[in-house]
Formats: sequence, C-alpha cells, structure tokens
Amino acid sequence: MNIIETFNLCKYYKNKKALDNLNLEVPEGIIFGYLGPNGAGKTTTIRLLLNLAKPTNGYAIIMGENILKSKKYLSKIGFLPDVPNFYNYFTAKEYLAILAEILGVDKKRVDEVLELVDLKNEKKRIGTFSRGMKQRLGIAQTLLHDPKLLILDEPTSALDPQGRKEILDLIKSLKGSKTIFFSTHILSDVEKICDRVAIIKDGKLLLNEKVEELKKRYAKRMITIEVDNQDILWEKLKDKPWVINIAVHNKSLLLNIKDISMAQKEIPKIISENNLSLIHFEFLEPTIEDIFFEVIS
Amino acid sequence: MIWKLMKKELKEFLKTGKIYVLLFSLLFFGISSPIIAKFTPEIIENLVKNQEMQGLIIQLPPPTWKDSFIQFFKNLNQIVFLIIVLLFIGCISEEKNKNTASIFIALGIDRKKWIFSKFLFQIIITYFFLLISFIACAYYTYFLFSTFPIQNSISAMFLYFIYIFFILSLIIFSSSLGNNFIQSAGIFLGIFIIFNLLSIFPNMNPYNPMSLSSLQNEWILKGVIWKDALKNIIFTLIYSFILLILGVVSFEKQEL
Repeated sequence: MNIIETFNLCKYYKNKKALDNLNLEVPEGIIFGYLGPNGAGKTTTIRLLLNLAKPTNGYAIIMGENILKSKKYLSKIGFLPDVPNFYNYFTAKEYLAILAEILGVDKKRVDEVLELVDLKNEKKRIGTFSRGMKQRLGIAQTLLHDPKLLILDEPTSALDPQGRKEILDLIKSLKGSKTIFFSTHILSDVEKICDRVAIIKDGKLLLNEKVEELKKRYAKRMITIEVDNQDILWEKLKDKPWVINIAVHNKSLLLNIKDISMAQKEIPKIISENNLSLIHFEFLEPTIEDIFFEVIS
Repeated sequence: MIWKLMKKELKEFLKTGKIYVLLFSLLFFGISSPIIAKFTPEIIENLVKNQEMQGLIIQLPPPTWKDSFIQFFKNLNQIVFLIIVLLFIGCISEEKNKNTASIFIALGIDRKKWIFSKFLFQIIITYFFLLISFIACAYYTYFLFSTFPIQNSISAMFLYFIYIFFILSLIIFSSSLGNNFIQSAGIFLGIFIIFNLLSIFPNMNPYNPMSLSSLQNEWILKGVIWKDALKNIIFTLIYSFILLILGVVSFEKQEL
C-alpha cells in the first residue's frame, strides 16, 4: 500500500516549472530517498505535500486523504525542514512541552523523544545549540506525536561527518516503525539507509525504484581493467560504440559500458591482438552515485 | 486549540521578557502621569527662582485631575503606542522569516486559529495591563488631587481601548503581509500615515480612528458626549474587522 501518491502534481512559478506532472508513489513502512540536485524540486514537493504551498495542478493522496480536500492527514506527519528553526529562548524540553500541549500529547512523551535523540539532560537554551543538536531536536519534534510518516527535508546536508552519522543512525533506528520520506542530494546517505529511491531533476521524476533492483539493473555496466600498458588499451577502446566513457583510476581503466555482451567478446580480443598482459578484470557493482549521474545525464 | 496557542504566546512573551517591558512601561506611565501633572508647576516655579529670573512672571493655573489624565493619555498615545507596535509587529512576519510558522502549519494547525490566537493574546494582555495602568493613574490622581471623576476617565479609556483594538488589528494585518519585521513595520507605518493625513480633512474625522485620541482629551476637558464618538467607534471597529479578515485571507494564501 502506498502512503503517498501524487497525481500529475505541478507547481509553476512565473518563469519556472518547479514541479512538472509529478507522479510519485511511496510505499508504506520504508525509508524512501528522494534524490535530486539542488533546485530539482525536492523541497517544493515537500511543501506541497505539507500544505505549505498550493499546487498549480494535480493532487496527492496521503494516507488515503486528498491533500486538496482535507488537512487531517497533517496530524499524522512529522516534518523536519531543511533549516530547522526553533524559538531560541526556550530549552529543548520547554519547547517540546509547548508543542506537546498544542498537539494534545502526553508530556511524558517529551522525555521519551529527548532521550531518543540524546538531548534529555540538555539544559541550555536552543539558541546556543550546534547545528547537529538542532537537527536532533528537529527529529525529536517530528516524533513527538508518534506520526506514521516522517518527512525529512535534507536532514544531513549541513552537518559534519559525525553529525551526519548520528542523524543517519537515528533515522535507521526508526526503520520499520515509520515510513520515512527523506530528501537529500547526498548520495552516500541514500545508499546507507534507503530501501527505495526516486530521482528528480528540473521538476520531473526520472526514476522510482527499489535500491536493490536499481543496482541489479545497472550492474555489470562498469568494468575495471588493469593491463601492462593501459595507454594502448585506452587508445583501442575509446572509439568503440559500446563504450560510454573511460576513466583512468590508479593503474586501471574504468569503463562504463553500453552493451555488455559486446564488451565481453571484444575486450579479450583487443588484449590478445595487441599482445597485452591482463592483470585484473572485474565487473563493478554501481553505487547510487554512479546510477544518479547516469540517470540525470 | 486557540486557548493552547495563546498559552504558547504567553510563554513566549514571558521568556523573551516582553511582558515586563509592557507591564512596567504601562505601570510607570500610570503612576508618573499624575505626579508629573501635580508637580510640574512647582518644578517650573522653583526653576525660575533658582535661575535668578525673578523678573520673569510665570502664571500657571493650579493643576487639576484633568492635567493628570491629559498627561496619561498623551503618554499612552505616544510612547506606549510605540512600545505596543514594536513588541507585536513581528508576531507573524518574524515567524515566517524564521520558519517557525511552517512547523505549526505543517502539523495541521489551522492558519485562521493560529492568527486569531495571536490577536486574542495581544488584545487580552494589552487590555489587562492598560487596566492596571489606568487604575494606578486613577489611584494617584485621587491621592494627589482628592478628586477623580469616574465617568470622564473611564469613557476616555474606553475610547483608547477601541483605538488599541484598531492598532492591534493593523499590526496583525501588517505582520501577515510582511515577510520580516522591517517589511511589516513599513506596511504599518504607511497605513498609519495615510490615516493621520486624513485628519487634514475635518469632515473625515467621524470616520477616522485617529480622531479618537483628540476625543479622549475633549471628554476629559469638557465632558462625555457619546453622540460625537458613535460614528468614530463604529467605523474604527469596521476597519479593524476588515484588517483582521484581510490579514487572515492573505496568510491563508501565502506559501510558507
């Protein structure tokens, strides 16, 4: 079952199509990575889903409710904006207590979520928090009312490696209990925690697939070859129609292949004809980064 | 929900110390106005004596309770007015600017309720402190002048309450339209200046909320004539409701 479904969702500004006929499906219970370069339309999608902006055309169904007709679904969503800001003069506990009261949540829950993000004993005002602490507080806030769906807009983008790891571990720990819609342009983060990814560029959805299937589909397209004279091999391969591109990596050549069967037949032949010695040959599993760049190009 | 949101506003007001600024400034003007009215003539007389300007004859009428309330309303219309505007003008725009508004709206909190909770909180807290200030002024006026005409002062205060209702509505409207403190203050100032310029045309006075302040003085000095103020009160309330509705409609349409 899909927790989010969008139908030809569009958002046009004066001179720009921020989102163009987006048809997105997000299954329930997974960590969903919403990928795209800066300005691709990730935040616009989130703002439309959360009633922070109105679509120009189209609609979305979230947890069975049409976002144009109902706002009840919003109470079942936890949202972390890309730059979370809080009332700086409160402590984390005071802030969440206020929010708990507004949302009708038991105040015991405040301590629970603060413990989960390791801020339970933090007595300082939010204004003095580091970026990572604010991000963790943001996640605590999203969990406060125990929502079914978490929408996290670039939760790791401005964090140092340690902060990123903490947030990713936290998100990963929620896997199974919640659906997590997670937008980012950091590809390694998606690879680490997501079950499924969608790639968006210039407001258009380019792909929406399970990470495993995606890797299978794009597997055996990357080959690394090491021979005793890589210049000769590079010269012979560079104009072959089944080669997309070649990169030199240390002493090896990294080949991106269009037609794998042709490569399997031709490469041994070229090595043999040019009297080269084969040192290493390997099919590489593509990373999300490889797939991302291939898809968006 | 509105009540819970108002509690949030109160906690914010306490935490930022704004509540003390409003309370103490109002209390100060409530107490100081009768004292200044009472002792200004004596201070001037002493000043003349001390400066060896005996040749100079200054004749000041003995101060009365009227001077006390004229001084009080002068302070309310100038300094207190400015304090109220500065305290509240960023109430919506700064929440938009700092992205704190989007957290509440994304949680499904109704935009109308969110704005009304702010307006109601501002009305209640301002009226409550104004009342304290008025009682302080009335007490010290009675203490210093041994007289205190209830009808004139309460009626004039009622006019100020109506005026503040308009000002707070204008604040909500400006803050809803602006995207930050400066923008909201600019919108507020622009509309405030337009209403003040309308005072140039005497036939517009019954429809101009700014005339309420001159009516306060008239009621203190000459006596209360409700007929004079009725149009003014009705039109001020109409403008206020229009501003509030426009503020809400504008916020409903905005992208956060």
